[in-house]
Amino acid sequence: MSKQVITGEDFTAMVLAAAEQLRSNQDQVNALNVFPVPDGDTGTNMNLTMTSGVQELQSRRSNHLGKASEALSRGLLMGARGNSGVILSQLFRGFAKSVADLDEADLVQFAAALQNGVETAYKAVVKPVEGTILTVSKEAAKHALQQAGEMNDAAAFMNEIVQAAKDALARTPEQLPILKQVGVVDAGGQGLVHIYEGFLKVLQPGAADWVRLNAPVIGVPSRIIESGHELAESHRSAQSHIAVEDIEYGYCTEFIVKMTPKGQADFHEEAFRNELSAYGDSLLVVADDDLVKVHIHAEEPGTVMNHAMKYGALTRIKIENMREQHSDIVSGDEAVKSEAVPAGENSQPGSASSKPAGLVAIAAGDGLSDIFRSIGVDLMLSGGQTMNPSTEDIVKAIRSTPADTVYVLPNNSNIVLAAEQAKELADKRVVVIPSKTIPQGLAAAIAFNGNADVEDNEKAMRAALRQVRSGSITYAVRDSHISGIDIHEGDYLAMLDNEIAVAGPDQDHVIKQLLDRMLESGDEIITVFTGQDAGEEQTRLLETYISQRYPDAECEFHDGGQPLYYYLISVE
Amino acid sequence: MTMIRIVTDSTSDITKKEQETYGVEVIPLKVHFGNETYFDGVDIHPSDFYTKLEQSPELPTTSQPSPVDFMELYKKINAPGTEIISIQVSAALSGTYQSAMLAKSLLEEEAAIHIVDSRSASYGLGMLAVVAAKEAQAGKSVEEIIAKIESVREASQIYFIVDTLQYLYKGGRIGKASALFGSMLGIKPILTIDKSGEVAPVDKVRGHKKAVKRMIELLQQDFGSKAIHLVVAHSEAQESAEELQRMVSEVLNVPTHSFTELGPVIGVHTGPGTLAVFAFPV
Repeated sequence: MSKQVITGEDFTAMVLAAAEQLRSNQDQVNALNVFPVPDGDTGTNMNLTMTSGVQELQSRRSNHLGKASEALSRGLLMGARGNSGVILSQLFRGFAKSVADLDEADLVQFAAALQNGVETAYKAVVKPVEGTILTVSKEAAKHALQQAGEMNDAAAFMNEIVQAAKDALARTPEQLPILKQVGVVDAGGQGLVHIYEGFLKVLQPGAADWVRLNAPVIGVPSRIIESGHELAESHRSAQSHIAVEDIEYGYCTEFIVKMTPKGQADFHEEAFRNELSAYGDSLLVVADDDLVKVHIHAEEPGTVMNHAMKYGALTRIKIENMREQHSDIVSGDEAVKSEAVPAGENSQPGSASSKPAGLVAIAAGDGLSDIFRSIGVDLMLSGGQTMNPSTEDIVKAIRSTPADTVYVLPNNSNIVLAAEQAKELADKRVVVIPSKTIPQGLAAAIAFNGNADVEDNEKAMRAALRQVRSGSITYAVRDSHISGIDIHEGDYLAMLDNEIAVAGPDQDHVIKQLLDRMLESGDEIITVFTGQDAGEEQTRLLETYISQRYPDAECEFHDGGQPLYYYLISVE
Repeated sequence: MTMIRIVTDSTSDITKKEQETYGVEVIPLKVHFGNETYFDGVDIHPSDFYTKLEQSPELPTTSQPSPVDFMELYKKINAPGTEIISIQVSAALSGTYQSAMLAKSLLEEEAAIHIVDSRSASYGLGMLAVVAAKEAQAGKSVEEIIAKIESVREASQIYFIVDTLQYLYKGGRIGKASALFGSMLGIKPILTIDKSGEVAPVDKVRGHKKAVKRMIELLQQDFGSKAIHLVVAHSEAQESAEELQRMVSEVLNVPTHSFTELGPVIGVHTGPGTLAVFAFPV
């Protein structure tokens, strides 16, 4: 019998499947990034966003469509990472508003809700660009509206939506020249297509069994607490499994070994880890004094435990059959730990506002954080693995800043939307200064005047963004061809103001070419921030080069400590 | 007729010529290098000061003239029918004003002394002393002169840039600019002495060139096309001072200008490489 309405429970199943579809294809989506740089991955961002949405949805399950979609929307909003994540959250926000009072939606109502999502998303973006996730969502909704009146089968209807989305995705290179240049379709759009595909999977006949068997364990990467003194219950669960048949190591096994003196003498952590790794994956071994915490996904938990018992008695044993786990057995403590490091001396969550204005800046790298703080930033937020913090992370940072008005410096073009979204959600006056690079953010922070009024500050800080040129050196994660530049995987990449400027196998050569393009009069102020992986020798060469070639320039070197980018360079 | 004598202190950075021309008495503050004590402008002058500063392993310190020092000066210049106007460096920056006040109270019956807190320093103070002396020569009364000093102070602008905030910080005079100390980037604050007589930041930029440019912009904002007398003070940087004056004169209405050197006492607290502009509407 064909389905003609979508209930809350249907929707929940659809979303879970969509999340799974997105998760398992995130690498493929990441590979569609226009710039072959090692960060800002759309697939990962959308996956993390979706995961947050799913968590909220599952904690408030309802057969009422309106309530279920509201839960999803809420989760997406808070967990939104990256521009694509934010747009995704807006799409479902509009969707949820549209079905708010409905127990269930017929196809016409569903289509209208999709359309409302599109309108909401477009409104949220200051300058909507066609050839992106926006276009794909727009075309899909348009087609849905056209078909809804004619159809009475949800599966066929969703299939129409998926097809329309795929067609729109295929057309994105025609709309966005750089996609054509690189030879890819839009990553965000592809992510959305996966989501619709997930919806379709559940609505197709025979899906009921699929749901039961394949309901994913939404394992979320939690922060590993490796400190010897905290053998906390940090569960590093593997990412979800697709189908039961695909689970190779079926038992999630955890225990603590209390070593005897002899056991301790015999125990070598490295060797122990190597031995256990033969029995499964997702292995975690944390040793401290006479305690060893072990976590492993193994097919023979008994064998693993026997092995560990050589060193002492076992305690706090926990074994779970992962094949039996249903999606609603997601343990409550597997929360996505925020990557925020609110380390300003002035920050006390919930403290009373103590000054008229404060600054929050986003950067990855201890050195950079120190520098920002030394020039007056109250709170630093790090972006985590993809370098993009979620909307919620930013909201929390805003709340923790003891000021009436908080200026936010995203310092990354992929974080600006999340910052704008955080502005809507925070209950303070927030001004987002759309810095797209660290050098821009530093310039804006310097232009900030705690005693000036908001209009003057905003004006001065925005003006400062334009007065600095930003360069960076990283490496290419795959081959590409952009702006007439041939890029090979492993090449060093120089970016100039968010465009690829130079690529090549010789880092020294690439840096010099970048510098030459950044300087004009030769007497500018050059600031170089060395990253975690910057080579000392290379840095020395760079210093020498600058002092010889640009003797009139003022130059400063600082340890930024940033990952992935060997050097960040600012010229003003 | 009442004879009005003007007294100021060595932080005023007025030139020897001005001292003589206007008959201004200058009481020296003291500079201490370790155990050695020098009298500012008497046995230590800018050129030897900055050399010593460079060579000295420790930072020098300064101290105000004692009440007794003031008393002796006042007694020296006092005469029947004389009134003394003693204009001192900002009380927020130095205990000199306090010493002068004490001296005055000790001499209560003997002399008519009016102590003025300039809420300023360097030539910001010097200008007031020169103006006071001119007014006195023109036969104005004490009340008129003090009112004139107030209005000149009100209308004048001071901007200065330092090579490093270290000296201000270590000398304890960094005032409202303290938040800027310790910034890891080479940030140049544009500083002023605000209405309360404290050092305060006006703006901050990166790099010396931008700082100079910004000082000029600020002067433009303050005075537009009004005629001003410009004084540029520097520490061993005559060329930079001249260049700065030229740049200002290009965009502002500067019929007269002059140069002066930042004295040792100021130098202890601002450090070498300091550049200051003082602008007074004419």
